[in-house]
Amino acid sequence: MSGRVIVITSGKGGVGKTTASANIGVALATSGASVALVDMDIGLRNLDILMGLENRVVYNLVDVVEERCKLRQALVKDKKLPNLSLLPAAQTRDKSAVDADQMKALCEELKSMYDFVLVDSPAGIEQGFQNAVAGAEEAIVITTPEMSAVRDADRIIGLLEARKDEIKEYRLVLNRYRPTMVQNNDMMSVDDVLEILSVKLLGVVPEDEEIIVSTNKGEPVSGTDNVRSGLAYRNIAKRIRGEEVPIMDLEVKNPSWMSRIVSFFNPTVRV
Amino acid sequence: MQLRIFEWFSQTKQDGARSTAKDRMRNMLTHDRLELPAGRLESLEEELVAVVSRYFELDKDTTQFDLQQYERRASLIANFRLLRSKC
Ligand SMILES: Nc1ncnc2c1ncn2[C@@H]1O[C@H](COP(=O)(O)OP(=O)(O)O)[C@@H](O)[C@H]1O
Ligand SMILES: [Mg+2]
Repeated sequence: MSGRVIVITSGKGGVGKTTASANIGVALATSGASVALVDMDIGLRNLDILMGLENRVVYNLVDVVEERCKLRQALVKDKKLPNLSLLPAAQTRDKSAVDADQMKALCEELKSMYDFVLVDSPAGIEQGFQNAVAGAEEAIVITTPEMSAVRDADRIIGLLEARKDEIKEYRLVLNRYRPTMVQNNDMMSVDDVLEILSVKLLGVVPEDEEIIVSTNKGEPVSGTDNVRSGLAYRNIAKRIRGEEVPIMDLEVKNPSWMSRIVSFFNPTVRV
Repeated sequence: MQLRIFEWFSQTKQDGARSTAKDRMRNMLTHDRLELPAGRLESLEEELVAVVSRYFELDKDTTQFDLQQYERRASLIANFRLLRSKC
């Protein structure tokens, strides 16, 4: 077996890399693929929490690289999906504990065991980022429609372009999208961001409180029906597998007259 | 009258933060990608105008000097309207 290694990266912190990693992982595994999630945010371990697996972590990625345990011993199986595993980051070490060659070797080994290896990258463009992309052939760049996040995404795209020989494809996920604000011309639209970055779109995830609820439960939303953000992640997973799925219709169809009147008299209130 | 009311209800803000953000973003990324410091383009324009002016009389009002992006690559677009040659 030779799986696909996909790094999930952004430049800016807090834009939704870890949330996307967990959700895309769950969605891919639900559709039957075998998936390894790799938490490369060494020193700031998060992915285990989002997956609800924090109590099952025994060994971590640094233990594997430093040969304190076998790879299989460090992999934590998901509670519900037997074909989904997590390789946790070390919480008490820093990014220099691993180098790019070790990361490449690790991804090679994981690739021979799983259909998909999703690498959750740390924020920044330094060594942590370089390590996270080292073993990958594809990248998902994630941003929100805010200027600082888009700027950092552009920087990341520049770095991925410079690695053309290794990174064969990269696509954008636009996260925390607010259709109402776009409709009111208060925020950049999907097309605005795509035009500015000249990048291919993998998907759009709406701003959704359910994400916070699901993080607290340790059950990613993509495993739940009837949640908009969950559907968005499931569609992203389908596109990764090569299916053609139209971008979810996020427009607010008919803002009620009542809300228009309210926002006319009080522009800061949007109902 | 009926139409006016309809327009009033269906109007959306045209000059929102969206277009400002987009313009600022474009300009910022053009500079980021080229590692171009602020003011550098302006000094190039000044020098070019000076050079061309040694050879031609220029219509300064219509001079166009701009960086445009296409697929993440910038092009320098300079357009000098010439009036006549200097000797
Ligand atoms: N679509 C979304 N809607 C609402 N909140 C979100 C969304 N995506 C992410 N978040 C929240 O944003 C915060 C940062 O997300 P996280 O995935 O940890 O970012 P990163 O890994 O890039 O630092 C978290 O609190 C998360 O719950
Ligand atoms: Mg993270």
